[in-house]
Amino acid sequence: MNATALYFESSMTQESTEIARGLRRRDPDLLDRLIEQYQHRLLRYLISLTGRRELAEDLFQETWIRVLERGHQFNDKYAFGTWLFAVARNLVIDHLRRKQPASLDGLLNDGAEPFDVPATGRASAFDTTLQREQNEQIAAGMQHLPAEYREALVLRFQEGMSIEEIASVASVPLGTVKSRIYRGLSALEPWLKGAAL
Amino acid sequence: MNANTSNDAHERARSLIALAGSPDALSNADQQSSDTWLAVHLETCASCRAFAENAGETIRGLRAIPIAAERSLVSTTQMRVRRRALELQRHRERLWLVSVSCIAVTLCALLSTAALWRGFEWLGARAQLASSVWQVGFLVFCVMPALVAGIALLAKDKHLSDQIGSYRG
Repeated sequence: MNATALYFESSMTQESTEIARGLRRRDPDLLDRLIEQYQHRLLRYLISLTGRRELAEDLFQETWIRVLERGHQFNDKYAFGTWLFAVARNLVIDHLRRKQPASLDGLLNDGAEPFDVPATGRASAFDTTLQREQNEQIAAGMQHLPAEYREALVLRFQEGMSIEEIASVASVPLGTVKSRIYRGLSALEPWLKGAAL
Repeated sequence: MNANTSNDAHERARSLIALAGSPDALSNADQQSSDTWLAVHLETCASCRAFAENAGETIRGLRAIPIAAERSLVSTTQMRVRRRALELQRHRERLWLVSVSCIAVTLCALLSTAALWRGFEWLGARAQLASSVWQVGFLVFCVMPALVAGIALLAKDKHLSDQIGSYRG
């Protein structure tokens, strides 16, 4: 392992230790900072799981309350983000169980609107329009994927998580994560081509 | 058999494409040999090449989906978390107070029981009573407050139910 990698690893461990200490104290300032830091990532993940912004926003708040209440369970050997996403995932599953006995499969296509893809506000060049259309198609395609695939794709390509981290969040073996990413990308292929529209 | 081998090769190629840029998926040596194998395969397989191009587009598209949390959501969450943190702190303080009270009461009960036992023993000796007699007296003395409280509560309940009955009647 080279010096840079070692440096990043040790600084990440130090950060995790500080977060763990703060969470045990239920330090509200630390939580404020973490909410700011993870706001977009967590909401994006929750929307990818639920497919509904309103529900995702409710679960976003619940996730942070859960983090406050169960902060002492955070193990500083792991990255905080991984633990946070696992907490959020469990909350989504709890929410589904309250509605009906189900796994993440229950979060599919029940009248949910596709992800909102707002305009970037940049110049309306042909390429930008084309790209935007393609993004809209992908966003719409995401809505039709099984939640497990959606989750794997979001964690991998939007959050840039490693396969191990995704496996840890989703509590599944590495092979399953790999196959979900592959199958998810394959399932999005027709949407990219516009064939499924 | 040949068709199966060919299908396996496509599956492998597509799986590698999907995990491309994921150095954690394979060890360095494996990564290098897989990359070489994939490059050779892509040169000869048009469908996997198309898949690779589409996968690249999809990944770029996924990264470009801009979902942002609104300011109001963040501030509401921060406020809720602070309120809950305060509640938990108060709850913890109350729990601490109850624990300390319980310990104090237990200690007092132990000390007073020992003192009372001695007192009853002394009284029994002075009145020249058999030890079983003053011991029963001690027991009644200890149980009496709980008995009185129980009877009072029962009487209060009875009184209340009588009153409700008379209102209904």
